[in-house]
Amino acid sequence: MTSSPACNTYMPLLSPYIDGELVPGERISVERHLAACKDCTMRVADLRAESGLLRVGMELAADQADFKDFAQKVMARITPDRPPLFERWKLALSETFLYQRGTVVTAFAGAAVMLLVALPLILRERPPVGYAGERMLVQSVTVDDEAHVAPVVLETSAGNAIVWGVHHLDEAKPAVAPEDEATDEELEQEAAPASPDDTKLKQDKPKGGEL
Amino acid sequence: MATDDLTLVKRVRSGDQRAFRLLVERYQRKVYSVALGMVRDREEANDIAQEAFVKVYKYLDHFKGDSSFYTWLYRITVNICIDVLRKRRGMKGVAVEYDETNQVGTSEANLGALGTRLGTNPQKSALRKELAEKIQEALEQVPEKHRAILLLREVEGMSYEELARTLEIPKGTVMSRLFHARIKVQKILSEYLELDESKSGVGSE
Repeated sequence: MTSSPACNTYMPLLSPYIDGELVPGERISVERHLAACKDCTMRVADLRAESGLLRVGMELAADQADFKDFAQKVMARITPDRPPLFERWKLALSETFLYQRGTVVTAFAGAAVMLLVALPLILRERPPVGYAGERMLVQSVTVDDEAHVAPVVLETSAGNAIVWGVHHLDEAKPAVAPEDEATDEELEQEAAPASPDDTKLKQDKPKGGEL
Repeated sequence: MATDDLTLVKRVRSGDQRAFRLLVERYQRKVYSVALGMVRDREEANDIAQEAFVKVYKYLDHFKGDSSFYTWLYRITVNICIDVLRKRRGMKGVAVEYDETNQVGTSEANLGALGTRLGTNPQKSALRKELAEKIQEALEQVPEKHRAILLLREVEGMSYEELARTLEIPKGTVMSRLFHARIKVQKILSEYLELDESKSGVGSE
């Protein structure tokens, strides 16, 4: 195929034309020529097709490559001998804050929220001291032989019972108050119906033990 | 937002190797593509791409920052490829002549062969595997300087200004070299299409 002198002039401009690298004056001139020249219009179509074909063809070729270990291999080739431990820690710490700042902030925020939620729960769950405690150990039980004692039984929803020995102020039969009323209050038994009979109390003097 | 190249380069200089890994991951595919287009051997292209990054790391202090990082990276890649090809030629004893002043017979190309057969949808056409392979074969047949400029323009999408800086040639030379390279590849591809069309009609949409 032969080309006209005008085509020979414009042909070298067609390549920069499809690349958008012509100055506006040249571009307008080329476009005027293209409007009048079917051959150069086909040349432009060829150049564009070739350009796209090369691009896609090379992308297809690169798609077949596996880059999974590529960066690791490069890093292995450039990594110097291991620096001292302190330097490694320092670098690891600075890199963590540099590249995983978001993760670090999120982790700290999460930990703070968890602490705020968990702390009151932990404090609330702590078993209270005294009668409300789940378990308590009775060290000793002392009953004054002369005391006139009446039991008060408090049953709990858990099936336990708290038994108080109450000094009954009976005018007809004045009793001798126990030396230490608080000692009576230590008398706590698990689901054990206490006998109101103080004679029994006298006979079966309770021993200390775990409730 | 991704950290820009120059910031990563500064971090690498201060001893942050993680920053260099990010640069490798950012450009590994493109560097490999250029190397593959140049040497047309997957294993060799992989070695060249690795070598390019190792050199970049080694000579990072020489990078002035007056051009973009990737321009510098591609220049190193192309130079390694040219060295490899020269060694390969030396082993085979074949010399490839390259003369910038050679006039290309544009009239020899089968005018409209690519444009009319491939249309404007290269994706559709290039999905044909044999055509993609033919492109690599066509690239192999053109001088390495033509190959390099074509790959950097088409695969990397470099502007003429960037091509001039990467290949260290005047902008006018970029324009003429690219034009000649395209005409040569076009001729090879259109001949292939014509030949193949007569056999099996591969070129038709």
